[in-house]
Amino acid sequence: MKDNTVVRVCMGPAGIAAGGKAVLEAFRETLADRNIDAEVKEHCSSHQVGCLGLCARDVLVEIGRNGSKTSYQYVKPDMVGRIVAEHIVGGTPVKEWLVDETFDTFYRKQVKIVLADCGRVDPEDIDSYIAAGGYEPTREVLMTWIPDDVIEEIRMSGIRGRGGAGFPTGLKWELARRSKGDVKYVICNADEGDPGAFMDRAVIEGNPHSVIEGMLIGAFAIGANKGYVYIRAEYPLAVERLKLAIKQAYERRFLGRAIFNTQFSFDIEIRLGAGAFVCGEETALIASIEGERGMPRSKPPFPVNRGLWQRPTVINNVETLANVPYIIRKGWAWYASYGTEKSKGTKVFALTGKIRNQGLIEVPMGITLGEIIHEIGGGIEGNRALKAVQTGGPSGGCIPAGMLDLNVDYESLAKAGSIVGSGGMIVLDEDNCMVNMAKYFIQFTQAESCGKCVPCRVGTKRLLEILTRITEGQGKEGDIERLERLSRGVKTASLCGLGQTAPNPVLSNLRYFREEFETHIRDKKCPAKVCKKLLRYSILEEYCKGCGACMKACPADAISGDKKKPHRINPDRCIRCGACFEACKFKSVARD
Amino acid sequence: MGKMVNLKIDGKDVRVDEGLNLIEAAAAAGVHVPNLCYMKGMKGVGACRLCLVEVEGGKAPVIACNTKVKDGMVVATKTDRVQEVRKFVLDLILSMHPLDCMTCTKAGVCTLQQYAYDFDIKESSFTRKKFGYPTDQANPFIKRDPEYCVLCSRCVRVCKAQGTNVLEFSGRGVGAKVVTAQDRPLQESGCTFCGSCVDACPVNALLEADRSRKGREWEYEKVDSVCLSCGSACGITVSSKDGEVVKISSAASEGAAEKYICAIGRFGFDSLNSEARLRTPMKRVNGELRDTSWEDALATVAEKLKAADGEAGFVSTANILNEDALALKKLAADVVKTKNYDSSVTLYADYDSLKGGSADLDKADLFVLAGTAPDQWARVLPALDAVIRKRVSEGGAKLLVINSGDPKIASAASAVLKGEEIAMIEQLAQAVISKGVKAPKEMVSALAHVDPSDAAMAAADLFVAAKSPVVLAAPSLYKAAANLSLIKEEAVSVPFEANARGVVLMGLVSEGKKFKEMLSSRSKALYVIGEVPVDKRPDTDFLVVQNSHMTDLATQADVVLPSTAALESDGTIVDYLGRVKEVRCTIGAASGTKSHADIFAEVAGAMGSAVKKGKEADVKKALKAKTKAAFSPFKREKDLDVDGERFIEAINKSTINGSRLLWLKESEKGVLA
Repeated sequence: MKDNTVVRVCMGPAGIAAGGKAVLEAFRETLADRNIDAEVKEHCSSHQVGCLGLCARDVLVEIGRNGSKTSYQYVKPDMVGRIVAEHIVGGTPVKEWLVDETFDTFYRKQVKIVLADCGRVDPEDIDSYIAAGGYEPTREVLMTWIPDDVIEEIRMSGIRGRGGAGFPTGLKWELARRSKGDVKYVICNADEGDPGAFMDRAVIEGNPHSVIEGMLIGAFAIGANKGYVYIRAEYPLAVERLKLAIKQAYERRFLGRAIFNTQFSFDIEIRLGAGAFVCGEETALIASIEGERGMPRSKPPFPVNRGLWQRPTVINNVETLANVPYIIRKGWAWYASYGTEKSKGTKVFALTGKIRNQGLIEVPMGITLGEIIHEIGGGIEGNRALKAVQTGGPSGGCIPAGMLDLNVDYESLAKAGSIVGSGGMIVLDEDNCMVNMAKYFIQFTQAESCGKCVPCRVGTKRLLEILTRITEGQGKEGDIERLERLSRGVKTASLCGLGQTAPNPVLSNLRYFREEFETHIRDKKCPAKVCKKLLRYSILEEYCKGCGACMKACPADAISGDKKKPHRINPDRCIRCGACFEACKFKSVARD
Repeated sequence: MGKMVNLKIDGKDVRVDEGLNLIEAAAAAGVHVPNLCYMKGMKGVGACRLCLVEVEGGKAPVIACNTKVKDGMVVATKTDRVQEVRKFVLDLILSMHPLDCMTCTKAGVCTLQQYAYDFDIKESSFTRKKFGYPTDQANPFIKRDPEYCVLCSRCVRVCKAQGTNVLEFSGRGVGAKVVTAQDRPLQESGCTFCGSCVDACPVNALLEADRSRKGREWEYEKVDSVCLSCGSACGITVSSKDGEVVKISSAASEGAAEKYICAIGRFGFDSLNSEARLRTPMKRVNGELRDTSWEDALATVAEKLKAADGEAGFVSTANILNEDALALKKLAADVVKTKNYDSSVTLYADYDSLKGGSADLDKADLFVLAGTAPDQWARVLPALDAVIRKRVSEGGAKLLVINSGDPKIASAASAVLKGEEIAMIEQLAQAVISKGVKAPKEMVSALAHVDPSDAAMAAADLFVAAKSPVVLAAPSLYKAAANLSLIKEEAVSVPFEANARGVVLMGLVSEGKKFKEMLSSRSKALYVIGEVPVDKRPDTDFLVVQNSHMTDLATQADVVLPSTAALESDGTIVDYLGRVKEVRCTIGAASGTKSHADIFAEVAGAMGSAVKKGKEADVKKALKAKTKAAFSPFKREKDLDVDGERFIEAINKSTINGSRLLWLKESEKGVLA
């Protein structure tokens, strides 16, 4: 018992949701128990760490010893006693609770750069980050580099904006550096809002200091002394950890005046977003920080020239900034060795939907969609057929199952009619209706449109109306063409990125799943059996035993029939809730 | 003038100022780029998307309102692509807009209607929807009907730019709406009812409350004139139909900072037909005022003035026209032969302060307010307040406020020097000099003892940095403040009345008793012209009141002569910036009334002399007398401090009490109580 043992409990969003806090406390309590050998106590510590990745198996616990690590899955507080007794004290892991081979396939093709320390360091302890080499890049840059070197390093690394638009970060910094102005700003955009996306949240919750470091280095590069983190208020834990991290960084004088005793000073303030998706758009975000209503402004002028309070401003996404210290640490060539010719490095994705291994993944750009779905993701849940993969959230589109060879990088995804986006990746199977999917995203953008420009304000509403009527069996001949015309118009004419990309889910679904739209419109049928109003429930008389279970389950009194005789559904009363379908044990309720 | 650039728009070569946007450049080439949200003089916001144009070499269409001209640019404003987008956008707007042009008051001047016509859109190709919002018509000034709103944000921006900040958006997407704070009715939201939003609205969402079924704009006769309600002397466009004024709006050109008029200027015209309007001369018989004929009234006045034998006094408002002032001076000095003739100018200004100075408010990059405190809410020179705030918020100008109190406009200032104004002006001047700026020798020595504060030093930086500072001074401080203009650029004195400068230049400068003295001392005859801030009959044997409305003073007069009101006679005035403005008769004299100048001529006639009505040449001659700027000691003119709010309210009493402004006054009192 000479080597130190480190217990790491996943306290990412999913880890906490699965009960990570109680597990961590159980470890602390058990290890503090007087029956535990003093030597064990001395050499064993337990920590909370950020997202470990495989959220589907949370709570994940990692026990590190002798430079190797052992991981447990689905850990509950009542399992902790045995793990401590057998594994930590006894030296033999509890085999049946260990992660299986899925764990290896989940991690094998991943490359962790921005998430390298996420899951390693304690996000609430700056020393833990420093011990992992943190703030060393900042020290080196501030003391020995000139700003142009930093910009060159970032430019050569090839990293592009991870918020979705993919603008080269080095070029953005260079433009801001060259832009004239006595006061400049760095803003970290942490207003992550795409449905199903939690990359930035995981980075901030798992390793907030990497974001602060990225801002410091960026500020040094462009000549800014003030930074803002614009973070949505719906991320209370991220806000709390970031606040703590900033406080600790001030205490260590990594923030404030004369950092590392150089001439450079830098302050960071947090600004909370109030729940408007559009405030993730950079000009709306600026307006919001300025205290105005969060509405986008037309570009040019671009923020690098006239941004926050009309001063040159760099706005980078969380993931982009969090990459910076690692690029500085290991050099641009190392970073650029990952990825494709035009899309360098790695990208974090939030893998969700009908996939076995839901979780947070970081993969090299250019990996194929198939590798992500089948290897990292472990395939589709319940052995159903993959239908499509939605990327880029409300600004993106769907890639059909037939295109799994597609490389995941900016160019290839764009060519396929979608985008990399901020990193949401939603896997859809045969039970997902593509018309309904398009409707869902338009509903989202329509509700989140700020209302400033006509095409987005009214156009998305009209799109939604048409999609709604198609899903309700009121689709008309010509609706597909109407959707296309509207989508084109909204894309061309809208003021900001929200409107310009809002029709993408409609267009991409029409591109790959046009037939499904046609079936909805012409046959009034939903092949995925999702669109409630298109479903017809009936009782197959030859199978019905007359047990009455369906009748009891029906909330609308639409089912009638005598005992032990076949029942009937009155279609005029049926509200298509599906309760009878679920209730019947003899599969005698038909749904089509 | 800045640099010029050459570009081609729709095949036409055009040469325009660098810095212009493509909408303006296209206009210069005679090409109209459709738009609903653009406002000249303000930043383009790109909300309506109608002004998209294509620039050669560019990938996507750009919005013309926010794209600056570049040399060699080739622009196409009517390509198939952008025309399709425009049609699409209009189609979308019309899907949320009532199609009731046949009964809509805005028909004919509605921009949306015009474009629907241009693009041949009879109705929207999309399902039409209604917002279902209620109309705000709880006030007699402005009707807000959000059902018509196209969310162009012009009203919001214009209200913000001038600092009233009443309107803002709420809600998102298709639920976005222009609202007041908490969506309260306008009168509960701090609205001053200036109506700038009404002028800005391209559709029927904002309209004067009383316009319904009072004719469409094409039926109106429109005449540009000047509002005489206060010292701002704003340009107004008066619309009339069948001899009745139906609408007044700002006459300033689009994009000018002076595109503003206040509630008095816009809505006070109701008083032209108010109950208090005088239409027949009156004469006191047996202690009672009774109607009489002009002949009798004039004869009585003539007789009494003669009898006064040089001891008569004339006191006039400074709202009379130059021509009236010239005639009055002749009547008083040449016919009645008295030295006592004055205007209400001397209540707040010395004559000299109104003889010189000029300024260009649109060019100014620094406003120095010395003692003067314009205030839109108190309706003290409201237009000046709005102009300065607009220039600060939209034009990048700076504001420096020098005041011993806490004027509201200080909220828009980059620097405030609070303290006794003369001391502050001295400190500022000394601070500027201490930064190495040249000043006349006398000034340098006069300031030798002054030790500027840190605040003054900071304020001086603004003055030093400014290219075109304009000093706007309260008349009593003008001479001291104008010393700053000896260092750089211009200074003007800001009086409370529209033609204060004019009446002084026309020679209504007393050689005997001044206004106050005439009212406080005994006289044989006193002739009061216009609405002056006097309610009680002075100690005089014979009182003539010549005014358009019955006033408290008029009820105590011996003879009352009914004059035309503003908008009812032609002439000129000289505004506080030294500009000669033409006041044009819009609806003709009300029956039974005569212009001031005509009455003076007729009084002279009744006295056996001839006084010709002042002509243009006479006015011009009088205007030539200009004083040259020279150093004056840093001193305040004494006994000239009046409460601007009360003064302006007093000289507009008949207008306010005889119009819907009374509602505003009472509702404001209610709010305050």
